[in-house]
Amino acid sequence: MTDTPSAREIQRAVVDTYGARARAVLASAGAPPTADACCAPASAEDAAAGACCSPAASMTAASAAQPMSVSFQAAAASAPTADESCCGPDCCDGSAQAASEGNPAAGQQFGAALYEATDVSALPESVVAASAGCGNPLAIAALRPGERVLDLGSGGGIDCFLAARQVGEAGEVWGLDMTPDMVALARHNAGEVGLENVRFRLGEIEDIPFEEGRFDVIMSNCVINLSADKPRVFREAFRVLAAGGRLGVSDMVQVGELSEGQRASLDQWAGCIAGALPLEDYLDAIRAAGFVQVEAQHEATAPGVVSAYLTARKA
Amino acid sequence: MPLLRGRAYDPAMQRELMDILACPLCKQPLRLEATREDAGEVLDGTLTCTACGEGYPITEGIPNLLPPDLRREMEAQAGSPTGH
Repeated sequence: MTDTPSAREIQRAVVDTYGARARAVLASAGAPPTADACCAPASAEDAAAGACCSPAASMTAASAAQPMSVSFQAAAASAPTADESCCGPDCCDGSAQAASEGNPAAGQQFGAALYEATDVSALPESVVAASAGCGNPLAIAALRPGERVLDLGSGGGIDCFLAARQVGEAGEVWGLDMTPDMVALARHNAGEVGLENVRFRLGEIEDIPFEEGRFDVIMSNCVINLSADKPRVFREAFRVLAAGGRLGVSDMVQVGELSEGQRASLDQWAGCIAGALPLEDYLDAIRAAGFVQVEAQHEATAPGVVSAYLTARKA
Repeated sequence: MPLLRGRAYDPAMQRELMDILACPLCKQPLRLEATREDAGEVLDGTLTCTACGEGYPITEGIPNLLPPDLRREMEAQAGSPTGH
């Protein structure tokens, strides 16, 4: 690993990677869904349409042996930091590798596999296909009718659409994403889904383009780890939340001390966790923004980088 | 609420939604200038910050509220305005 990439380099890599995925999903929208597209891409479109980071355990030996997606390779080549993305170019190979190398991220689940089948059965394929979250969307389950919700890093919109069902017609859901192609995909998906209480905006989670005190809930699924300035993201989240508003974030965090081997392995390939903060640092950043009742849930049994669910409140 | 498939839905920005947006830089209100509209929905135009004067383009119904330096960087790389 060379020098730490700059914030802009990270942003560009994320936009490149997720933009490529969004374009591929859009291009294949309407086409029959590809079975087991995860790690057996017959084409760039198929690769992006699959739940890229589904758990290694679900992969067949044959699929794991296939080369990774052309589009992700291209993104990685043009931007060395593309592996910052949660479901970065190495996710499939990486998952397979993890078992033998003892990588701390082994066994993590990503993407559509995290959602209960009943949750997403009514959603179009192009919605589910772009999902790259790392957490069970617990924040959505806690939503109440009429609430105003902002999703930081909304991607193809899956969490927004599920949230929109929860808050109902009296509520509203806004998705914010800095990748133009993802916003385009989310808007396409909104048309497919037909929900009228969901809207998407192109913007940066470090510079949220909404007035202060506008939302009851802020949620985010495996996105903030991609930010080079997480404290700023939490300050902005705090600003746009109304008093009493809630933060519910799924994200990758580092738990416990990593061994040298684990660090080396991380540096080599584990793209999705390159930006993961130690859990305590993450919680401190949330507190520093002004939040109270800052809590974390995770199921880590050993030191490593894990998916955690972080909650907090604006007093 | 059931998810309805296929209902006509135009997610283009609507005028009445303007009041919740803010300048990503200085967080102040934005002023809308529409150059192309359809049934009250703005397809092309500009959002201008009432405080700092920075402008944010609306292209094909998508307001681009990225910080201007990031937007310009993306436009330079793409060779065309974002939103296409």
